[in-house]
Amino acid sequence: MKKPRLGFFKYSCCAGCEFQVMYFQKHVLETLKNFEFIFARMLLRGGNPHGPFDIALVEGTITEAWQADELKKIREKSTLLFAIGSCAVDGGIPAIKSTMPELDVESKVYADITTIHSIRPHAIDAYIKVDGYIRGCPPGERDLAEALSSVLSDKKPDFINYSVCVECKLKGNVCVLVAYGMPCMGPVTNAGCGALCPSMNRACYACFGPMKQANGPALARKFKMMGLSKEDIKRRFTEFGADTLEFRRALDILED
Amino acid sequence: MKINIDYIARVEGEGSVKFEIKDGGLRNLKLNIWEPPRFFEGFLVGRKYDEVPDIVSRICGICPVSHMTTSINSLENAMGFNPSQEIKKIRKIMALSQIAASHIVHLYVLALPDYREKDMVVGLNREITRLVKLKEAVNNVTGRIGGRPLHPVSMIAGGFTKVPSRDEVGRVVKQLKRVRADALQTVKMIAKLDYPDLKTNVEFLALKSENNYAINEGTIITGSGLKAGLEEYHRYFSEKEVPYANAKRTVLKGKNPVMVGALARLHIKFDELHPEARKAADMIGFKTGDVNPYHNNIAQAIEIVHCIWECIELLETISHKDTFMTIDVKEGYGSAITEAPRGLLLHEYELNRMGVVKKANIVTPTAYNFLSIEESLKKLVQENIDKPENKLKLLCEMLVRAYDPCFSCSVH
Repeated sequence: MKKPRLGFFKYSCCAGCEFQVMYFQKHVLETLKNFEFIFARMLLRGGNPHGPFDIALVEGTITEAWQADELKKIREKSTLLFAIGSCAVDGGIPAIKSTMPELDVESKVYADITTIHSIRPHAIDAYIKVDGYIRGCPPGERDLAEALSSVLSDKKPDFINYSVCVECKLKGNVCVLVAYGMPCMGPVTNAGCGALCPSMNRACYACFGPMKQANGPALARKFKMMGLSKEDIKRRFTEFGADTLEFRRALDILED
Repeated sequence: MKINIDYIARVEGEGSVKFEIKDGGLRNLKLNIWEPPRFFEGFLVGRKYDEVPDIVSRICGICPVSHMTTSINSLENAMGFNPSQEIKKIRKIMALSQIAASHIVHLYVLALPDYREKDMVVGLNREITRLVKLKEAVNNVTGRIGGRPLHPVSMIAGGFTKVPSRDEVGRVVKQLKRVRADALQTVKMIAKLDYPDLKTNVEFLALKSENNYAINEGTIITGSGLKAGLEEYHRYFSEKEVPYANAKRTVLKGKNPVMVGALARLHIKFDELHPEARKAADMIGFKTGDVNPYHNNIAQAIEIVHCIWECIELLETISHKDTFMTIDVKEGYGSAITEAPRGLLLHEYELNRMGVVKKANIVTPTAYNFLSIEESLKKLVQENIDKPENKLKLLCEMLVRAYDPCFSCSVH
């Protein structure tokens, strides 16, 4: 069998996703053996950025115009294209910038912003159609393995699509929101981490981004009842997911 | 003739090297770091102290622990909080395990292929097997304590939300002990590689403290003997914007370009290394004062030995007492400097009385190395100006990679 041709592209992010793909412990040998690496900057010198690719993995938020242009070209050359990691999936940490006047943010960092060409940060699906989302920061190993193995076995990938609460229940964790009054984002956050934070005695901070159709406003109301300030609630919903509809909607209840 | 290395592969983040050769001379060499800015220092303003470590960890996918620890130290300083010895110890274990992991990946996956005339690590099966074994053992330390090796969650201002049980620690230690031979094997392998010759005039820079190999705290010491405490930082260092790069360039005022990272650390504090690491250095004939930046690879290999041995010793004395303390939130300014895998990392914050960030500043290892990478490249090109273009390009790339730059960090 011919090995599937893989391309890996990085936009504005920490490069941790590519790191995770290349070295995620249990599967690194299989990954390296079963795919033909056509383009992956962190792993391969040279390489062909123009494809074609059987599978393209894209990490990072889109924060400059050239990235969007390049992304559209990659889409055309790729049979399957997955967003990997919270930045590419829903804007992630770099999208915090969009909660503030962007010029203010930029001029806090650079005295001379004439050489800075940033646009409003967005997830990659603001520009192209995506075949699947490998969520998480860092991306969950289960969904990553699912994406790669689905390409190898030519089937439709089945990604995790429920909230962190489900994982807590499966693990038998005590609910940190109900029992300890911690402002846990678990009820509205997509699972895949293995309910990591609640298992480590702290509140989930939504690094896997919102679960699709999560009821953000209900949780925001709960936080309000618990006595969290407006500002604190806003921060909970904009650390990961400032660029998402699910979390932005939660902020509406703070207006009344 | 214009030479343009569009992107330097096998480094973290995005940068290119451009220069011109005209009438047998070198002109206009630039390290263009075009990694797009994410404006961390901008959007951190308005965020609360308890979410800062989780946010800054996303600056880097290889050294998240360093960004977390440095920000936590700095925030705790700002609020006048002193962590217990036990908290400091566990933070050091986290840092050591991450330094080892970072070096392992850099040496095997990023650097090694050049010396074996390959474009990527695939095909070097024996090495990959050793890489995976080593990486798994050290990642297990970070992961067991932090919850996960990449962007760990248990590290917060005030200590750790959870510490692994004695049994779990025992298993981690056992696994670490099993890879000690692999670490020594790595030193031998890396020492044998055929490094290009290059002598540079860099000023080494590292943290130093009494009786231990300083990682999370210490005084800044330079190769020429300058000593700078944290409170004098801005008197000695300045950060400048560069028109052709998104990263800023940090210089030590009135001195040669600085170099930070493993080679600098070995030069400044070789005597504080773990005895086993010193033995490994003797075994391969490593001498301090070595100013060939390519040898940063060798220094990293020696540090892997140090990290693994010290981690084992620290883990064996871990207790569960005082691993979390409550912080009184208050207004203040604080800064901290630590040794990240690639060198000095500074964070400083100003907080209001609610613990909300008013001002943030982050200076990363690659910002310190920026100028010396450029200067070393100039020297390298001048000395090899007759070499064919492809060979010259490769030499330049290998040099940049030897510094183990992180462009994502440097721009942030």
